Amino acid sequence: MARQQGWLALILALAIASAALLASYGLQLGLDLRGGSQLTLQVMPSGSIKTVEQEQLEAVKEVLERRVNGLGVSESTLQTVGSDQLVLQLPGEQDPTRAAKVLGSTALLEFREQKPGSEKEMNGLLPLKRQVEAVLFARRPGAQAAASNTPAPGQPAKPTTISEADMAKAFSALGLKIPAGSGEVDQLEILQAEVNRRVINLYGPPLLTGKELTSAGRQQDRTGTAWEVTLNFNREGAEKFASLTQSIAGTGRVLGIVLDGRSISEATVGPEFKAAGITGGSASIFGNFSTEEARDLEVQLRGGSLPLPVKIVEVRTVGPSLGADNIRSSLIAGVAGLVLVALFMVFTYRLPGFVAVLALSLYSLFNLAIYALIPVTLTLPGIAGFILSVGMAVDANVLIFERVKEELRSGNTLIRSIDTGFSLAFSSILDGHITGLISCVALFFLGTGLVKGFAVTLAIGLLLSLFTALTCTRTLLRLLMSYPSLRRLPYFLPARELPSGAA
Amino acid sequence: MTVASSLSPRFRINSHRWLAWIGSGLACLLSVIGLVLCWLQPSIHSPLKPGLDFTGGTQIQVVRACGGGSQPQPCPAISADTIRQQLTALRLSAPAAEQPPNLSSASAQVLDQGRSLVLRLPALDSDQAKAVLDDLNRSIGPLKAEGTAVDTIGPTLGSRLLQGSLISLLVSFAAIAIYISFRYSGVFAFLALVCLLHDVLITCGLFAWLGLLRGIEVDSLFAVSLITVAGYSVTDTVVVFDRIREQRKALAHLPVIEQVDVAVDATLTRSLYTSLTTLLPLLALMFFGGSTLFWFSVALAVGIAVGSWSSIGIAPTLLPLMIRR
Repeated sequence: MARQQGWLALILALAIASAALLASYGLQLGLDLRGGSQLTLQVMPSGSIKTVEQEQLEAVKEVLERRVNGLGVSESTLQTVGSDQLVLQLPGEQDPTRAAKVLGSTALLEFREQKPGSEKEMNGLLPLKRQVEAVLFARRPGAQAAASNTPAPGQPAKPTTISEADMAKAFSALGLKIPAGSGEVDQLEILQAEVNRRVINLYGPPLLTGKELTSAGRQQDRTGTAWEVTLNFNREGAEKFASLTQSIAGTGRVLGIVLDGRSISEATVGPEFKAAGITGGSASIFGNFSTEEARDLEVQLRGGSLPLPVKIVEVRTVGPSLGADNIRSSLIAGVAGLVLVALFMVFTYRLPGFVAVLALSLYSLFNLAIYALIPVTLTLPGIAGFILSVGMAVDANVLIFERVKEELRSGNTLIRSIDTGFSLAFSSILDGHITGLISCVALFFLGTGLVKGFAVTLAIGLLLSLFTALTCTRTLLRLLMSYPSLRRLPYFLPARELPSGAA
Repeated sequence: MTVASSLSPRFRINSHRWLAWIGSGLACLLSVIGLVLCWLQPSIHSPLKPGLDFTGGTQIQVVRACGGGSQPQPCPAISADTIRQQLTALRLSAPAAEQPPNLSSASAQVLDQGRSLVLRLPALDSDQAKAVLDDLNRSIGPLKAEGTAVDTIGPTLGSRLLQGSLISLLVSFAAIAIYISFRYSGVFAFLALVCLLHDVLITCGLFAWLGLLRGIEVDSLFAVSLITVAGYSVTDTVVVFDRIREQRKALAHLPVIEQVDVAVDATLTRSLYTSLTTLLPLLALMFFGGSTLFWFSVALAVGIAVGSWSSIGIAPTLLPLMIRR
């Protein structure tokens, strides 16, 4: 009796602790349940680096973390997965498209000097480049409205279209063919890519990079239609920038600002800077940026460039309402199913069935408390693991009670039947749980994300089920048996199944 | 102790063993035919119709802001074919030096009387997906922002998932077989694996047929459900084996067939009750749960029902053939 009370005290204490844990921590829901998006980024080896090492993965993660913080998305998590992947989770209604764009590009900013002797070719290319950019800028959705709301006084009207003849002339001048059936925007993009390739060819090697920045910002440009990105260099960068601008000042050659292989701005430097170059360590990039583009570039430059390029291999989105819908209806369904199971147990096994329902409620409580404690992020596969483990926990009770019934039918006394039932059922319960645990271990160590979530919840469930079936059910049943008024066979077995003479 | 009931089992599984074998044999044969037909189907060309998780690509799901309870106006009708033609005509931009994806292989599915639409496309980057959404918004919009979901999965990720699940399954089978041969004997381990393959095969077969006839695809949740069915199958079989082992000691003087019949009869109630209690929450999930979980619950329910059957009808009837006493 004293032993029973000790167990009972332990069970009660655990139940209270679990309830307190759940109340204070709550459950962590996976993205598939609460809605949100998940981006998987693959770090790509490049140049001399053939395989991605742990250090490089960490370095990439650090840069991406700064960018994520710069984006101002709340509650996002960035984790490394395997040897060369990173997973970013954005909960709630946040636009993964933008995050994908900001995180996916290397953001390698370079300042390059135009090679001497290439002035003529450059002067031929730049007007075309500006025209293509202006037309493309005007074609962007939303750009027209912005332009018409804020007319730029004193500025020549920017071209918003390009005639077919001009387009054909530009294509033939660059030695390109217009692809059959392509639209205007497609053709403009082909032109832009070709002009960019040629412009980059006229630049010398990078003399200054984004590494030497201390900060970046943005402001509206003079016309009020576009944004510019402002830069501040550290001391070394400021010196380099001064000598770079000094060397081209007054020559008519341009300073090219290249971002990820794309020439985003070409600036000439006036002869007044011949003496010392542009000093002061700050510069700005005019690149016809929209508000969003300027902000994204600012975030990227502040975060620094990625040491290795990344590729976005997966974007998964679950609308928050889809997630909420799912969880609500699945929760109702799950609870309804469990209530049916409880009714079934009480109906079939009477008093022990009632005890089992109590024990299984405790089991569910302990399970959830452990999810909150570790913490386990609950996903759909995780819920599947939970359901399966509830099934196994019920099975353990069914096994025990069937054995108890058998013993009663063959004429054993109540207390003896209960004890024998528990000890006979033990070996099959143990075997069933151990085979389950073996699968869990294999799935956890060899499986991927989804499967891992399943393995974790199932393993927790199996371990707990061993504990509750063998301890909680037994202790509660023994406790009730200490009341003589409950020690009646009909509470266990319908009278017609009793062996004659035993009642 | 159990001698009284053991002498006259109410139900003798081995007297129905031909029926059991024919039933299971037919189910297995049908499953294999389904898998082969699926493989031969040129549009599928694999034993099961693989979903986005395994093929890679982009899936766009949109909900239109019309029809349904609170919306007074019904949705203007749309057809999957017009949507497909419209997508084929759409030109996407691509980063320099890359070909824009060809949308002519896209598939479209209209759901909920035209209220929502699911598109399956080759892998798109975020700009391209946005372009498709803008295009849809113009043609069949307005769309509900909160109902829109865009999933893009690289093909490498799918194969990695498949590989990981397969390897972990095989390793866990091997480990379980070792455990059972250690606790019971090699014959029991072999039979447990036969049952397991039987259950997994029939579950796969059902989904092969569903893929052929209804276009149902298998996703990563299906892989999880197969793993669950495998785990359940082994546990279920082990419980029956435990009872058989016990009866082999208690009834050592009787032939193996008798021992098995008595053991199966004794665990029959438990086997049925246990599958029933596991099926109850699953049936609830099937009928009242979210749409994402429907096919998952179907796979689990079928697998568990079949697993329960094989532990009663397959392992115990094959056992007397494999051991003499």
